[in-house]
Amino acid sequence: MRMNKKGITWLLSLVFILVISTVFVKCGGENKKDSHQTEKADSSRESGHEEEIVRITVEELEEFGIEIAIAGAGKLDRHVDLTGEIVIDPDRLAHIVPRFPGVVKEVRKKIGSPVKKGEVLAIIESNESLASYEVKSLIDGKVIDMHLTIGEVIADAGHSIVIADLSRVWVNLNVYQKDLPYIKTGLQTIISTGYDSKEKSGKISYISPVVDEKTRTATARVVLANPDGTWKPGLFVNAKVITGNDNVPIIVPKTALETFENRTVVFVKQGDGFTPQPVTIGRSNSTVVEIVAGLKSGQKYVSKGGFTLKAELQKEAFGEGHEH
Amino acid sequence: MKKLIRFVLKNRLLMLALGLLIVAGGYYSYNNLPIDAFPDVSPSLVQVFTVTQGLAPEEIEKYVTFPVEVAMNGLPNLEHIRSVSNFGLSVVNVYFKDGTDIYFSRQLVNERLQEAREQIPEGFGDPEMGPISTGMGLILFYYLEDTSGKYSLTELRTIQDWLIKYQLQTVPGVTEVLGIGGWEKQYHVELDPNSLLRYDISVNEIIEKIRANNLNVGAQFIEKNSEEFIVRSVGLAGNIEDLQNIVLSSEDGIPIYLRQVADIQIGGAIRRGVQTRNGIKEVVSGQVVKLYGTNSSTVIRRVEKKLKEINKILPQGIRIVPYYEQKTLVEAAVKTVTNALLIGVILVALILILFMGSLRPSIVVALAIPFSILFSFIGMRFFNISINLMSFGGLAIAIGMMVDGTIVLVENIDRMLRKSPEEESKFHVIARAFGEVSRPIFFAITIIIVVFLPLFTLQGVEGKTFRPLAYTVALAMLGSLLFAMLLASVLASMFMRKPGTGKKGQEIKENFLLRNLVKIYKPVVSYFVKKRFLAVFLAVGLLIVGVVIFPQLGSEFAPKVQEGTIVLRLTMAPSISLNKSIRTTQVVERRVLKVPEVTEVITRIGRGEVGAHTDPINSAEMYILLKDKSEWRTAGTQAELEDVIREEIGNIPGVLANFTQPIQMTVDELLEGVRAELAIKLYGEDLNTLKEKADEIASVIRRVPGAADVQPDQVSGTPQLVIKIDRHAIARYGINVEDVQQVVHAAVGGETAGQIFEGVRRFDILVRFHSDFRGTPEAIGQILVEAPKGIHVPLSQLATIEEIVGPRQITRENSQRFITIQCNVVGLDIGTFVENGQKAIEQNVKLPPGYLVTWGGQFRLQQEANKRLIVVVPITLLVIFLLLFSSFKFLKNTLLILLNIPLALVGGVVALWITGENLSVPASVGFIALFGIALENGMVLVTYLNQLIRDGVPLDDASVKGAILRLRPVLMTAMTTALGLIPLLLATGVGSEVQRPLATVVIGGLFTSTLLTLLVVPAIYKWFATDMKNEIQTN
Repeated sequence: MRMNKKGITWLLSLVFILVISTVFVKCGGENKKDSHQTEKADSSRESGHEEEIVRITVEELEEFGIEIAIAGAGKLDRHVDLTGEIVIDPDRLAHIVPRFPGVVKEVRKKIGSPVKKGEVLAIIESNESLASYEVKSLIDGKVIDMHLTIGEVIADAGHSIVIADLSRVWVNLNVYQKDLPYIKTGLQTIISTGYDSKEKSGKISYISPVVDEKTRTATARVVLANPDGTWKPGLFVNAKVITGNDNVPIIVPKTALETFENRTVVFVKQGDGFTPQPVTIGRSNSTVVEIVAGLKSGQKYVSKGGFTLKAELQKEAFGEGHEH
Repeated sequence: MKKLIRFVLKNRLLMLALGLLIVAGGYYSYNNLPIDAFPDVSPSLVQVFTVTQGLAPEEIEKYVTFPVEVAMNGLPNLEHIRSVSNFGLSVVNVYFKDGTDIYFSRQLVNERLQEAREQIPEGFGDPEMGPISTGMGLILFYYLEDTSGKYSLTELRTIQDWLIKYQLQTVPGVTEVLGIGGWEKQYHVELDPNSLLRYDISVNEIIEKIRANNLNVGAQFIEKNSEEFIVRSVGLAGNIEDLQNIVLSSEDGIPIYLRQVADIQIGGAIRRGVQTRNGIKEVVSGQVVKLYGTNSSTVIRRVEKKLKEINKILPQGIRIVPYYEQKTLVEAAVKTVTNALLIGVILVALILILFMGSLRPSIVVALAIPFSILFSFIGMRFFNISINLMSFGGLAIAIGMMVDGTIVLVENIDRMLRKSPEEESKFHVIARAFGEVSRPIFFAITIIIVVFLPLFTLQGVEGKTFRPLAYTVALAMLGSLLFAMLLASVLASMFMRKPGTGKKGQEIKENFLLRNLVKIYKPVVSYFVKKRFLAVFLAVGLLIVGVVIFPQLGSEFAPKVQEGTIVLRLTMAPSISLNKSIRTTQVVERRVLKVPEVTEVITRIGRGEVGAHTDPINSAEMYILLKDKSEWRTAGTQAELEDVIREEIGNIPGVLANFTQPIQMTVDELLEGVRAELAIKLYGEDLNTLKEKADEIASVIRRVPGAADVQPDQVSGTPQLVIKIDRHAIARYGINVEDVQQVVHAAVGGETAGQIFEGVRRFDILVRFHSDFRGTPEAIGQILVEAPKGIHVPLSQLATIEEIVGPRQITRENSQRFITIQCNVVGLDIGTFVENGQKAIEQNVKLPPGYLVTWGGQFRLQQEANKRLIVVVPITLLVIFLLLFSSFKFLKNTLLILLNIPLALVGGVVALWITGENLSVPASVGFIALFGIALENGMVLVTYLNQLIRDGVPLDDASVKGAILRLRPVLMTAMTTALGLIPLLLATGVGSEVQRPLATVVIGGLFTSTLLTLLVVPAIYKWFATDMKNEIQTN
């Protein structure tokens, strides 16, 4: 009987120690059960889809600025930006130097005056013969430089009169090495001064056969008609050389391209959703790109705002990894 | 003990004076205690921030983070260093051992920062320490409302940064005010690269020219007619026009002005954070950070007062609108526990009057409560514990227990006074009554204090959360012990009278309740004493119920405290641009606003001025402001409302949304903890190898049985445009790498060329290319680099420009890069899983030299906690056992009393099960409290039974008689404790979630343990008493 009672005592104390220890072990061990169950539920929802497809409502398309277009042909114009300056066409330039040293007796033209071929510009009295002779223009044009004053003694060629015909000017463009392969004679080129909208189009007529040793640039030339004299020699200009203007079977704006899982993709409409379609890209300019493979003509694709769709597909990953 | 009793009763006046001193001291302490919402669980941490404009994570790590980390190594009390290198920002968190003085650690860090500064290259940023604050420091957020519509975001931001900020920083207790949103004003000099070419001027020349044309100097003074004239030469540029007219060069007397090559305008600085409101517009906002250790409620009050003053001086139409105030939370939390405390006091007082039957003894007992509480305040001040949810919660828990010792004493005095012979003096009776119960009172209270010891060993967040509670309970119990031992008898002698002198009739009437209880109780207890085995069956039956229910309980670590403010955290793709981030956030804001309870939505995207948040721009925190709870229609509780909002926003494409709370969020961020059970950390050098190997490990772990949610960190995801300089190409032109870098830096990123002063306000002058000439990779390729001899070469001829995907951030721990693989374990013991996992990795993953795998996560903390508890709990039990043994001197008595514990636990378990609460840390705190209370009840009864046996009363009679006589104190102590907790059980206010499981456990446990004490203990007393009687006889 006594043994029995002792037995009960010990048994009970054993039970109670067990209970206590389980309380602590239990409440320490499984604290995160709830949270990870919900996480699991989330991920199973996402991984349920075999294909990567994003479903999105029409309102959401609007809300997130997602635009849809139909794939098709288009023009791909490509260009190279160059800088250059307006120079006088050397064929229309005359340096007229008084032939004999002498004293300037008369100056008939000022800088800027239009002159005709054969027109008298100045009269000079020769030192040797003391006879006056006329200095005449050799071409039609304008006086652009002249260093003659009455009474002045002229002894050398420094006192030339420069006459230029500015109805046609040259644009000398500096072509950097990297752009050389694209620049060819006959290419359409749009010249602008950069400040206002004044633009003029011309064609490349000449490319220098050698590259300047100092600047390492070649020179490409565009001849511009300049009837009203707006293209003043010395102007610094920007030029856009159109290097290509091809018809391309499938062309999309660059905004349609997304990088997804290290591949370039375009989001294509499939059923009631969009799926990332890997594409091979061809030529491109700053706004559009040619699709060589991966997108068929007539397919609906996301032309802008595909980022939202990409983000939706990556959502699980960036959520889990976000750690502070 | 006898001596003490005699001393106390002799020196009554001294005792009273002592009592008054403690009361006064307590009151004084109370007025000086800081008030917070919760205990601050932030780690001892010093943050070092370095803002470096425009650098990618790799560069930040190399040039900034690493030098800072290295400098911090070897500091005393250092625990570990963790760093994050983000785009443009390096954050190094230096964690010190818990309890390290924050000013001391800041001083250490500051000293070392000097070294670090020398190592960081010029122009790569200056490391600075974060504000002297903690995770609880963000006390008030506000935004600027502009009703006039006249002010631009830049102007509003200027008002925030130069007016409001400095005004608020003068408020004592405010350590920092951080602005976000809008645009920081800058003067933008946007260069046209073609014009530079035209005039043959380089970017660097322009920067130099701007610097050279923007300064004031002083030139001492001149004397003129006995007066001194101070000579100032004034040349500061003051506005856009001054800048425009800076001359860059002059050819033949024709000056070239800055305006000829650049557009100059006022613009906004590059920003990494935005604040939006109601889905329609951006706002400017500020965050007030409280100084470490200051009283939240006082600081908030001062800030509010200051805001009112500032509102008056703001331009017409602009107003500061606070949208988050910790005050609400502090007030609500303190209100919850204060209410519980007050109601508890009232309920306890009612019980006293009901059972004691007269007012006088009740007063003596009730006085124990204020005395103990005031005593705890002294202790709290001593231990630096603030008034908060947990510390006040501890007092609320202890309310019922504070009176227990005094109840036993006063009840005994009361009973003995009634029975005492007419001639015995009152003092003598009191001394006798006191002597009878002094030992059990002393031991019972000591045991309750001892029982709370394991809580002091809790570490980390749990430790910081529950230690204040353990402290206040222990302090309150110590106070109640002092009261019972030193003051109660003195007060009893003053207040209580011998019944002979009082009115007898009244007394009988008032004991009505007790008499009826005895009437019911007596036959029951007699029956149980006769049929002992029935009692055993009852006990065993209950125990089995407990054992069956126990495994069914859910478990969690600690219930989430509802802060009362809903924050929706949005995480977007890491590569997102700020504009897209704003647009997406506003879509979500509009959706949230559709919920009728929502009045306003304010979101912070990314980070503003550094100091509080370090979030990248793909992360947004949406503060959802609600109508008053009485106006809610779609939901009743916060949790329900969260569901409603969740429903309303639905799935947002490309956005992960989850609910969080302001303080929780900040603290989580500081703790930087991994939220999964298990975290496998892979340390190593190369980012790509790390990623590759982490993926390998993840796939290996996925195959280990029990693995769930295995997920390696996504470390990459930020696209980069990498300009790789071709060294052969630059060699041909004789260009240095630096020349190229400088141009890229200035043209694309921009270079600061001094500042424009407007009074004391200063705004940077930023020089960079016009956006047309730097906005696309093609444009960047066209940027010209100047080679010696004055020739110009396009960048794309000198470097390749590639788009790659780079790391979004680089995390390092203890000076090593690492990547985490998170994992949960289902249906298997974690220990076994870890073992299997380690084996699997060893066999299947080949790590290059220098790569290391460690296992950590929550499980590690829990293992440590369990390890400590496995040591501490048995030690506590042993101490309790020794205390009991030294009190009773008999092993059997001691065991009988210990028997109370399992039955008390059963009640707690059942109560949890019924209410659907989980087993959590507060619940186990409840179990701990139960230990003490259950033991106390048993002691009171067993002591008296022993007394009766010693007096020679036959065993069975003694059992019944003792039980009946002790019915009153046992019931009273049980009921006071239970009722003291009822308010906590029923409370719905802020923070009630934490206290509720605790109250549930104690109340449930008290029920079963009282049942046991009253029915089972008398019944089985016989088995535990026989020996004692023999021993007494042999003695």
